[in-house]
Amino acid sequence: DRQTLVAVLQFLRRSNLRESEEILRREARLLGDDLGGSVATVASSSPGVAAVAAAPPGKGGARAGTAGSLPAAGGRDAGSQGSVAGVVVEDQPDVSAVLSAYNQQGDPTLYEEYYSGLKHFIECSLDCHRAELSQLFYPLFVHMYLELVYNQHESEAKSFFERFHGDQECYYQDDLRVLSSLTKKEHMKGNETMLDFRTSKFVLRISRDSYQLLKRHLQEKQNNQIWNIVQEHLYIDIFDGMPRSKQQIDAMVGSLAGEAKREANKAKVFFGLLKEPEFDVPLDDEDEEGENEEGKPKKKKPKKDSVGSKSKKQDPNAPPQNRIPLPELKDSDKLDKVMNMKEAARRVRLGPECLPSICFYTFLNAYQGLTAVDITDDSSMIVGGFADSTVRVWSVTPKKLRSVKTAADLSLIDKESDDVLERIMDEKTASELKILYGHSGPVYGTSFSPDRNYLLSCSEDGTVRLWSLQTFTCLVGYKGHNYPVWDTQFSPYGYYFVSGGHDRVARLWATDHYQPLRIFAGHLADVTCTRFHPNSNYIATGSADRTIRLWDVLNGNCVRIFTGHKGPIHSLAFSPNGRFLATGATDGRVLLWDIGHGLMVGELKGHTDTIYALRFSRDGEILASGSMDNTVRLWDAVKAFEDLETDDFTTATGHINLPENSQDLLLGTYMTKSTPVIHLHFTRRNLLLAAGAYSSQ
Amino acid sequence: MEPPKMASPKSAPKDAQVMAQILKDMGITEYEPRVINQMLEFAYRYVTTILEDAKIYSSHAKKSSVDADDVRLAIQCRTDQSFTSPPPRDFLLDIARQKNQTPLPLIKPYSGPRLPPDRYCLTAPNYRLKSLQKKVSSSAGRITVPRLSVGAVSSRPSTPTLGTPSAQAVSVSAKVGTPVSLTGQRFTVQIPSSQAAVKSATPTTPTVQNVLINPSLIGPKNILITTNMVSSQNTASDSNPLKRKHEDEDDYDNL
Repeated sequence: DRQTLVAVLQFLRRSNLRESEEILRREARLLGDDLGGSVATVASSSPGVAAVAAAPPGKGGARAGTAGSLPAAGGRDAGSQGSVAGVVVEDQPDVSAVLSAYNQQGDPTLYEEYYSGLKHFIECSLDCHRAELSQLFYPLFVHMYLELVYNQHESEAKSFFERFHGDQECYYQDDLRVLSSLTKKEHMKGNETMLDFRTSKFVLRISRDSYQLLKRHLQEKQNNQIWNIVQEHLYIDIFDGMPRSKQQIDAMVGSLAGEAKREANKAKVFFGLLKEPEFDVPLDDEDEEGENEEGKPKKKKPKKDSVGSKSKKQDPNAPPQNRIPLPELKDSDKLDKVMNMKEAARRVRLGPECLPSICFYTFLNAYQGLTAVDITDDSSMIVGGFADSTVRVWSVTPKKLRSVKTAADLSLIDKESDDVLERIMDEKTASELKILYGHSGPVYGTSFSPDRNYLLSCSEDGTVRLWSLQTFTCLVGYKGHNYPVWDTQFSPYGYYFVSGGHDRVARLWATDHYQPLRIFAGHLADVTCTRFHPNSNYIATGSADRTIRLWDVLNGNCVRIFTGHKGPIHSLAFSPNGRFLATGATDGRVLLWDIGHGLMVGELKGHTDTIYALRFSRDGEILASGSMDNTVRLWDAVKAFEDLETDDFTTATGHINLPENSQDLLLGTYMTKSTPVIHLHFTRRNLLLAAGAYSSQ
Repeated sequence: MEPPKMASPKSAPKDAQVMAQILKDMGITEYEPRVINQMLEFAYRYVTTILEDAKIYSSHAKKSSVDADDVRLAIQCRTDQSFTSPPPRDFLLDIARQKNQTPLPLIKPYSGPRLPPDRYCLTAPNYRLKSLQKKVSSSAGRITVPRLSVGAVSSRPSTPTLGTPSAQAVSVSAKVGTPVSLTGQRFTVQIPSSQAAVKSATPTTPTVQNVLINPSLIGPKNILITTNMVSSQNTASDSNPLKRKHEDEDDYDNL
């Protein structure tokens, strides 16, 4: 402290604040310049004067009087407090040099010096460590910049940015552009994403050797500034083993919060499918007996139950049947399943030799207003959500869309007749197109219910609307998100639906509750894509923070975090067997994930623009992807998922070695003239339907 | 894609050039030319709103001129009002934790279309037909229904008492898009089962003209009167030709 006082006196004298100096000296009872062997300088607490002095390295015999912790660490204090730093100097000329130095330049020298010092160190380190340690650059850069901005050192922040932003990886460019617009503290307040970034820990995965190297260097260099930031804002997930190569790292990084901690991906996930309920299926052609009773084997039928799975054993990876309450099967659902099965029998088996035919539905005269498309499971209706806030439903089959008769007419019909379901429909209202009005903003997501009775649409006005497809009127408006809702989807069994929006959460709703049942919070930026797992127990959300999270419906916990995309995620697809997830983002890559192990298992490169549509074929043999680059690409999913090496090392450390086999897996590229593909759908017979709006540019 | 039509620097006004430069700085390279006009208009509107607010604040503080503090206050107030941002993360995590603790509700089997309670749905009729006739006819044998005076006549949201004031208020479900003339008023009425009281009350409410209540709605104790219903029960055959013919069968919400 004595040294502190001396330093302050020095400073005051340099600034020609004689009186203050006198007063201070009198109070401290110091006489003359007494520097002694070492001096510590202290910055006063006025903004612009606060400084952290860097210790010139290698001064022998100097005490490490460093205490460089900026009080704004954690970003919670109001205004800038004094920052205390220690400088070890040998003799007076150095002190004056340093003092004069920081007088004129203040912070930036020190921040920039720290940063460039670290940069130099990392560049000189061994190759094997360099890739891993380079991960530090980006979070350190952002945190130091944000600290400067937060403490209102505007010009210093700007020069810091100018000097170092070019060194960052190319995939962080978008973030850096956003950062460059944040120059004042007030700007930060409105930007939730940056605030979250500041308060959450950026996760880095570094091998133990590299970590030791880094730690030793930072601690011996006595510039604890960086060390403090590392401890405060970064979470270093250490693993034992070989350091990762640049390629491996590049595949996994990119999200706003670094990578995922290993523990985040350790929870057990029931990715198996639910057992189909067993009921007997009436044979259609030779149907003399009519409906069979349950459990009575008939000599004609080869199988007792065609719908349910034959094995009585529970799949260990499948969730228990009653883990989450699901609606019971109605008669119409059973009929649906029968139809499904019949169609499945006629399904084309796809493979590399047998590619699906693609039928493209082009929306004309949409003037770039088509924002969402969905097709029913039996491919009978197609819905488009538009930027003019309308929802339009078309019938794809020759059968027109009819609405139910009014109550008056309904009382007149014969309720006992066989075709009562036909009679309740009003022929006068038959048309191929129905337009649904109600939203007050562009409709960003649409979803048919599995029983084709309901349609969901979510819009920029913050509501999700449930429409009846029997009366073609709006039934409910679910208000919860107060900000644009980007995507919504019905559960594969109906009744539940999920929505995700700008408020960074996804919500699980049931059609008969006006408030959400579950709120899935954790993303750092907007939730742009939400999908149910085939067993309806898990929900995958893709977000603008470049991560995909898998949530458990039962308790709302996040069970998986997948990082690796370099842009906001816009499409998700679960494989029909429930084991794998395919994701597409604005970076043009499709990533494949093993849900059980929580690892990336494949990367499909080929598209050059955002991928808005992903769909697995009905039996999971082919993955189709549609993108803004006007192409549909087909990938061999069977080959992509076979021979997965998931040995202990991989699962323990999360290392992945992705084979560069995108070209082998690509089965075909189909170009449209100038129609971006925004929806893909495999019919029950494995015909691929695609949809997009013709854009004349 | 054809190159964006950016105004050539020579001909565009300075503000437009500045806007184009801002777009370029933010990395936006392709945009329709009308985007610049939109941004200029937004900037103009925003700045004038803020400055007007600042003028009001400074005159309120009896200052002679607008200074930076006024502008700062104006900006802050407008931000809280129009440019809200989503809630902070810790708040979201908190409410998520609360919401996720409750177990998922069980699903009742065989319950028809699964929709929320009617007041949260948009399924109610959002119009009513105005009946013009003034005759109050009470057909014999039928329960004469007290008539309510609806907003067109008097604007008090009165709960007409019929001898026994409503002790148990059954609130009318909030209909989305109630007719404009009603301005969203609600009425609660409890009609006692004794018809005598009703009958005696009838003559004392002569002011009602407009809304007649469908007696088919009268349940045992409580009825839910929707103000936007018109019934043809009490109208004689000289009913308004504009009235719908099937009102008797209209399936209003029965309690």
